[in-house]
Amino acid sequence: MRAPKPSLMISIPSQTSFLGLVREITKKMAESAGFTDGTAERLALAVDEATTNVIEHAYHGSGDREIELRIEDRGPEFRVEVVDSGATVDPRAVPRVDLDRYVTERRTGGLGVHLMGKIMDSVTFRRSARRNVCCLVKRKDPAAP
Amino acid sequence: MSELTVETRDVEGVTLLYPKGFINAHTVRVFEGEIQKALAQGRFKIVVNCGGLAYIASAGLGAIMGAIEEIRGNGGDLRLANLNETVRNIFEILGFNHLYRIYASEVEAITSFRRAEEAGS
Repeated sequence: MRAPKPSLMISIPSQTSFLGLVREITKKMAESAGFTDGTAERLALAVDEATTNVIEHAYHGSGDREIELRIEDRGPEFRVEVVDSGATVDPRAVPRVDLDRYVTERRTGGLGVHLMGKIMDSVTFRRSARRNVCCLVKRKDPAAP
Repeated sequence: MSELTVETRDVEGVTLLYPKGFINAHTVRVFEGEIQKALAQGRFKIVVNCGGLAYIASAGLGAIMGAIEEIRGNGGDLRLANLNETVRNIFEILGFNHLYRIYASEVEAITSFRRAEEAGS
C-alpha cells in the first residue's frame, strides 16, 4: 500500500522568531516530496520571505496575530499557502526590483517578492473569506518521485 | 541551537565574518551587529565567508546594502567567499554578483585586498 502524500497545516504567531520553525517544516516537507537538499533550502527561503511579508506588511509588525501555513505534496507539484487576516496587500503595489537603485538609493524594497518569484514556478495572491492567501507552487521534475 | 552565529577574526588587516546558520528577518540583527562592530573599529576591509550559511534572505541582503556605501566610502569593500550552491543562486537571481566581488575561497578574497594595495603603491 502506498503511503499518502504528506500535507501539513500549522498556525504560528506573527513573530519573526518563528521563521526558523517555518524553515525547518518547509524544508522537511520539500525533502519528503523528493526535492534535493539545495532546492528544499530555496523553497524554505521562499516561504520564509512570504511569512516575513505577512508580518511586516499585512500585520505591520504586530506580533499578536496568526499566520496559517498549509504545505502540501500534491503529486506533480509542491504547494504552500501562507494565510493571514491582515490588511489587504496589493502585490502590484510592491515596488519593482531596480538593480541600479540598490546602490544609489540603498533601495531593497521588493527583493523578497522578487526572490519568491524566481524560486517558485508560480506565486499568486488572492483574497478569500476575508483573508489573504499567498500561494507558492513548485512543480516537480517529472523524473522525481 | 542558535539559528545564526557569526564568528569573526582579523587576518592581515581584513576582518573575516563567518555566519553559520541562516540569515533572515529574525537573525539579521546578529549579522548586522557584527558588520557595524567592524565599522565602528574603523575596519572597512571585510570578507564574509559564506561556507556555513544555509541561506540569506532579503533582510540579510538589505543589511549588506545598508553598510556598503560607508565601507566603500572609507576605501574598503565587502567581499564574499566560499558560497554554496544555494547562496550563490540567490546572489545570481538578484544580480548581486555584479555588485559584489565573489571569490571561490577565503584566501583568494583576502589576497584580493593585498593585490589592490600593491597595485596602488
